[in-house]
Amino acid sequence: MLLIRNKNLRNTIKIAVPFVIIPVITILGTLAFDEKKHIIIALAVAVLALLLFAAGFEKKSTGTRRMVIVAVMTALCFAGRFIPFLKPVAALTIITALYLGGEAGFLVGSLSAILSNFYFGQGPWTAFQMLAWGLIGLFAGMLSKPLLKSRALLLIYGFIAGIGYSFFMDIWTVLWYNEGFSVKLYAAALVSAIPYTVSYAVSNVLFLYLLALPFGEKLQRIKVKYGV
Amino acid sequence: MRSFSEYNPIVIAVWFFSVTGIAMFCNYPWLMAISLAGAVTFFIMRNGLSHGKTHIFFWVLFLILALANPLISHNGKTVLFVMNHNPVTLEATLYGINSAAMIIGVLYLLRSFTQIMTSEKLLYITGALSPKLSLVLSMAMRFVPLFSRQSAKINAAQTAMGLYKDDNIIDDIRGKSRIFSVMVTWALENGIITADSMETKGFGTGRRSQMKRFRFRASDVTFLLCDLVLLSITAAAVGTHSLSFEFYPSISFDSPDMLGTAGLAAYALLILMPMILETVVNHKWKYLRSAV
Repeated sequence: MLLIRNKNLRNTIKIAVPFVIIPVITILGTLAFDEKKHIIIALAVAVLALLLFAAGFEKKSTGTRRMVIVAVMTALCFAGRFIPFLKPVAALTIITALYLGGEAGFLVGSLSAILSNFYFGQGPWTAFQMLAWGLIGLFAGMLSKPLLKSRALLLIYGFIAGIGYSFFMDIWTVLWYNEGFSVKLYAAALVSAIPYTVSYAVSNVLFLYLLALPFGEKLQRIKVKYGV
Repeated sequence: MRSFSEYNPIVIAVWFFSVTGIAMFCNYPWLMAISLAGAVTFFIMRNGLSHGKTHIFFWVLFLILALANPLISHNGKTVLFVMNHNPVTLEATLYGINSAAMIIGVLYLLRSFTQIMTSEKLLYITGALSPKLSLVLSMAMRFVPLFSRQSAKINAAQTAMGLYKDDNIIDDIRGKSRIFSVMVTWALENGIITADSMETKGFGTGRRSQMKRFRFRASDVTFLLCDLVLLSITAAAVGTHSLSFEFYPSISFDSPDMLGTAGLAAYALLILMPMILETVVNHKWKYLRSAV
């Protein structure tokens, strides 16, 4: 995917994959299978998105320093998942994305999911978690300019990301339970997940409020000092 | 003769994906029963009677999931009773039990998967896809214990300097966050040093290669082939609707034809494969012990 030399074209593809190719697969999948097998399509899309990203990352010559910093942030996210009730993963992913770009954000989010699930249990949801956290990082990287300028916007983004993550994971819950997508079940899943949704949103806002500046300073310092 | 967890990770992963995949994409009650029974047996075989909490959690979840469907979905012809002006139907109840059996079966299998698929095995698989990503992952894994040790050191140093007391909560929190801040700065700096020393040793100059801890042996290939053959029989049965089961509006199914029966048998055999291995290995072990 990233054998393309032209930078503009490359950026177009980066945006086209999540927004164009994946919807196309979804539509084709709905036509090919009967409507009961949404979960196959959902899983295929999630895995494909992750594979595309992995392939792109493999082809690119990422600086070693950048890679190690991503590993450091991933380890911090993993350690953070042990905090009861509060989940700093998304917040740390967002902060990484703001200072190191969307790709680093995607990597930190998705690798944190896979790494922490060694402890919390792997499953088909791993792919969805990887995608959800990865996308939270990717979008934060795309929006890094306005988010860095205004603290209020950053907190709002964190709040939306928390709620969005919960909604995204509940789609998966419903598909798993019911083969097809049912609005009633989805509503029930959303209601039963309210405490989690609140915990995600609150912890994102809280950790962004607490950590954005100090972490930002540290990452900025590393960037200036070593040119990551 | 090796036990199942000593096989090549790719073989293990393929087996887990085929067993859970079939269970997830088919709703035939007999198949669900086989998968649930097999998953529970496999889990108990590997862990004995420990993990009581896990079992309790799974079966409570089973009840919740089984009861959730008839309360939410009111499809189905056979009304059992009316609750809050909403009919509770037999079909929805059975559908709920069926879905719950599928989910709990898959959860049991995945619990075993998490136990068997240790991080080194997963790194072997990700390394086949992307050596770079697998490197980042393995570095992150190594950083976790490193950071906790470093935190302890910083903590000791700060305490020795008398920078915070444990008896005052505000002081405590401030001290803890100072430790965290020091730790993060150190971690980033240390990461840069690590990266630089990697580069001086020539990282990134050649093609990334990976240390191969696992080889494909004859028994791996045999296991994989058996797995794929059984999987394709079952998949054929599921794909050609030999194992179709309609819950709504009323329960209707054909008694399984030749292919359907073959599919069920193949699935049962598939889920038994690792257990057969474990049993044989255990018996061999006992036999060898008794020979001594």
